[in-house]
Amino acid sequence: MQNPIFDQVWWVIGLPLIGWLIQCLFGKNVIQSLGPATGKRVMGSIAVLAIAASFAIGVMIIQALAQLPADQRAVSRTLFDWINIASIRIPFELRIDPLSMTMVMVITGIGSLIHLYATGYMAEEKDYPRFFAYLNLFVAFMLVLVLGNNLPMLFIGWEGVGLCSYLLIGFWYKDFANSKAANKAFIVNRIGDVGLVLGMGLLVSLISSNPAAVAGADGRWLSYDVLFEYLPSIVAANPAMATAIALCLFVGACGKSAQFPLYLWLPDAMAGPTPVSALIHAATMVTAGVVLLNRMQVVFAASPVASSIVVIVGLCTAIFAALIAFGQTDIKKVLAYSTVSQLGLMFIACGAGYYWVGMFHVITHAFFKALLFLGSGAVIHAMAHDQDMRNYGNLRKYIPITFITMVIGWIAIAGVPLTSGWFSKEDILHDALYSQQAMLGGVNIGMYAGWIGFFAAFLTAVYMTRMMMLTFWGGQERWKLIPAHAGGHHEDHHHEHAHAHAHHDHGPDTHGFFYTDEELAKTHEEHGHHHELDENHKPHEVPPSMWIPLAVLALFSAGAGLWLKGYKAFPSLPKDTLEKWLEPVKYAEEKAHGGAHHSPIPFEQFITPIGYWVGIVGIILGVLWYLRGLPKAEGWDLARWNPFRRAAADQFGYDRAMVDAGIEGGGLLGTFMWKVVDNKIVDGAVNGLAGAMGVLSKGFGWFQSGYARGYALMMLVGSVAILGWLIYFFNTTGGRS
Amino acid sequence: MNLSQLPNISPNLIIVGFLGMIAIVTAIGVVAFNNPIRSMLSLVANFFTLAFIYFSMGAEMMGITQIIVYTGAIMVLFLFVIMLLNLSADSVISTKKLDVKPLLAVPVGLALFVGLLSQVMMPFAKVTQPTAPSGWGGPQAIGRTLFTEYVWPFEIISLLLMVGIVGAILLARRRVEE
Amino acid sequence: MNDVPLLVYLGIGLFMFATGAVGVVVRRNPVVVFMCIELMLNAVNLTFLAFARYAPSPLVPPGGQQHTWMAGQMAVIFVMAVAAAEVAVGLGIIMAIYRLRNKVDLDEMSTMRG
Repeated sequence: MQNPIFDQVWWVIGLPLIGWLIQCLFGKNVIQSLGPATGKRVMGSIAVLAIAASFAIGVMIIQALAQLPADQRAVSRTLFDWINIASIRIPFELRIDPLSMTMVMVITGIGSLIHLYATGYMAEEKDYPRFFAYLNLFVAFMLVLVLGNNLPMLFIGWEGVGLCSYLLIGFWYKDFANSKAANKAFIVNRIGDVGLVLGMGLLVSLISSNPAAVAGADGRWLSYDVLFEYLPSIVAANPAMATAIALCLFVGACGKSAQFPLYLWLPDAMAGPTPVSALIHAATMVTAGVVLLNRMQVVFAASPVASSIVVIVGLCTAIFAALIAFGQTDIKKVLAYSTVSQLGLMFIACGAGYYWVGMFHVITHAFFKALLFLGSGAVIHAMAHDQDMRNYGNLRKYIPITFITMVIGWIAIAGVPLTSGWFSKEDILHDALYSQQAMLGGVNIGMYAGWIGFFAAFLTAVYMTRMMMLTFWGGQERWKLIPAHAGGHHEDHHHEHAHAHAHHDHGPDTHGFFYTDEELAKTHEEHGHHHELDENHKPHEVPPSMWIPLAVLALFSAGAGLWLKGYKAFPSLPKDTLEKWLEPVKYAEEKAHGGAHHSPIPFEQFITPIGYWVGIVGIILGVLWYLRGLPKAEGWDLARWNPFRRAAADQFGYDRAMVDAGIEGGGLLGTFMWKVVDNKIVDGAVNGLAGAMGVLSKGFGWFQSGYARGYALMMLVGSVAILGWLIYFFNTTGGRS
Repeated sequence: MNLSQLPNISPNLIIVGFLGMIAIVTAIGVVAFNNPIRSMLSLVANFFTLAFIYFSMGAEMMGITQIIVYTGAIMVLFLFVIMLLNLSADSVISTKKLDVKPLLAVPVGLALFVGLLSQVMMPFAKVTQPTAPSGWGGPQAIGRTLFTEYVWPFEIISLLLMVGIVGAILLARRRVEE
Repeated sequence: MNDVPLLVYLGIGLFMFATGAVGVVVRRNPVVVFMCIELMLNAVNLTFLAFARYAPSPLVPPGGQQHTWMAGQMAVIFVMAVAAAEVAVGLGIIMAIYRLRNKVDLDEMSTMRG
């Protein structure tokens, strides 16, 4: 008899959905009838409660799951039959297993913290219920993605989170730049989705060609529990097909998880409100690709080629995004590229065959990246919604809580030993070094990726230090250089500053929210020049609803590694908690170590010291570099930047090239289709046909006299003709055809 | 077919034959009279005769309805329209070239008649005994059926009639704006 | 007593139908064309009733079920109702055309010319 709590798994998805409905149906009315202040507090509380209750149920379920023996930790619950055709039945069913429940914990746990934070961050937002409706809906879809027991259900969630991401990036849709960013995210994600759909289709066709696999299980052969029974043998017998499926699925993962060819959308997605960046573009949605690879690890494990490509793409992304981060001046853009880079590391782990390590980094990254994003949101909040680090400096005096929590996030992402980030990065790089999974033409890609991955970790430490130093340290308080009476425009500021401003992207908008002109004027009366960043600005600490989530996340950023992995210096802590927990969802053998722990690799003796010191050295270098505030070479005058940094700021021309290629290429293709295919071939055929019709119609024209009686005559003649034919037919055949 | 196959000449047959003659003659009259008023009066006579043919079949309700609805209501409507529009005879002089339609229509109509009569109706030549019980066309039977089995079509028909009324008013009224 | 053959009724109906069909083609007055259409509808009604009374179809068992002879009458009722609606709308159209052109000659109306 199974624990009845498993039957309540629907509420995990249902509560965010109900929250969404409440926001949609009653949000406006409540805020109107209770007044903005009370109404927003009520609606915000409902939104937070929906996610927090979902989290609580998740905790109960995960406890019940942990009580089961390890080999029985996979429970499924069916709600109804979604698709039921011929030999395939796809029920709407949820799967409770360690992988899905781990993701549920991350999504709802961090999600509720971010919701709480958002109640403070968005307090001045006019469209308050719409924002929380989107957020709740996003959480619901994300839960469908991870909890679904088959790929079609994963696809529902996949598309749903894509939609919510689009809606949230374009939340301030009245600014055209935001709409463009939202469109870009949506379109780039579609490219990935094509890959995912193709992969799913190939998988279905591969399995359906195996009669034994399809025969059993009452038609639900796409459900994971049935699928995983025979998928290993099927993919082992069809290695080429396994590679094709794995690559198609990986294209989908690349789109959603912002990997190298398709990462373009994520930095632009920073146009959305900061809690959105934290929730979607750092903690949860972008990890969907890693979840997909974990689910489908059997397919990837069967294909060394696909695994190698995953590693290569992950490595390229990690290095490339880290380099771009050096050229960014927008605090959220730095974090965005750092997210892309960290996702690359996760894919290295998955490509090397250590899927659970990928999940480990998903979890720790979710903690510290959500923390950093929320912290950056607090900074932006304190700095009147200016996102440019060149206007910051010495903020630790003004916003101490934000400062302390962000320092914890910073050392975690930089990989200072014993922080959570250090544990997961160490695992990724070590396992990649010793992995035998990613072999391409006899070359062990994984080993090289491991070594180069250390360089990526080093870069991470340096650019994160740059961000922290520019924001919190340095004697200069640079916003005081902006004259007060300029009213947001800096005409009379010294020339180069103004010039740079004209070219500089200030982020989505300087107010952070949209009002009608009258409302804006009223707000300005009330707050004076509160919303303008200038020399009179006093940064102020954020309210508790915003710093409590920061504190909680900081705790986990610091301690999650010790908790989930353990450390040899603390023998009282349980070891390898996460690995043992995720053991039941390992469907693929880890090809590594070659028997006795590991086969020797070159320069093996350096691995451990490098692992300990790479982050610390990066931080020290960064601190030395930025100790004296903003270097002239990174100031407002782009002409004084060194060529590397200028190129990095421009994403090394990649974004431009891709967009241009898309537009120009699309234009060329369109012109070709228009001038040649359409005008010559299609129109030719149509015109020719039309000409022939014209000739014909002249011939038949006299039938169409326009006289009603003529038509009546035609009807009469026609019916007599049919009658005659019938008579003939019956008389010759006797009524039998 | 020889004469022995013909049915016995009974009083009923004589009456029905006589009514049929009137129906046929008046039907020709509808088409042949040049004056619309005369056509219309022929049609009234035709429908009236038809009602008596229905009576002869025992379909009393249908016959009554025929008189009330067709001769009473619809034909009066026709009369009104003809009077209102002051329609005179079709103009005798045709300004256009020779119209081939009547020349073509009569033989085709004849072909229709002959074809259907010889091929479709002759198989029924031996049917002389009605199967319907007496009282099959009485108001009781009709009412019961109409309001049980056919109640939905009946309701829909009422909707159709209402739409027809509204449409007719819409089409025929004078435009107030003009 | 009941020895009027079915054929007599069918013959009368068929003749009325053919006459009406010819009339629709040859007459130029739309009101008369309408009358011819009514003539055809009534011919069909007569045929319906005749078949309902004699039920000669091999598909219907002799003696028939009740609705076998009621169905024909129901069809007649519905035909009458539809005809009434049609006449109302049709005559309305004729009125409208007359108001527009002061003349109702079918041969004058040839806007449908192809």
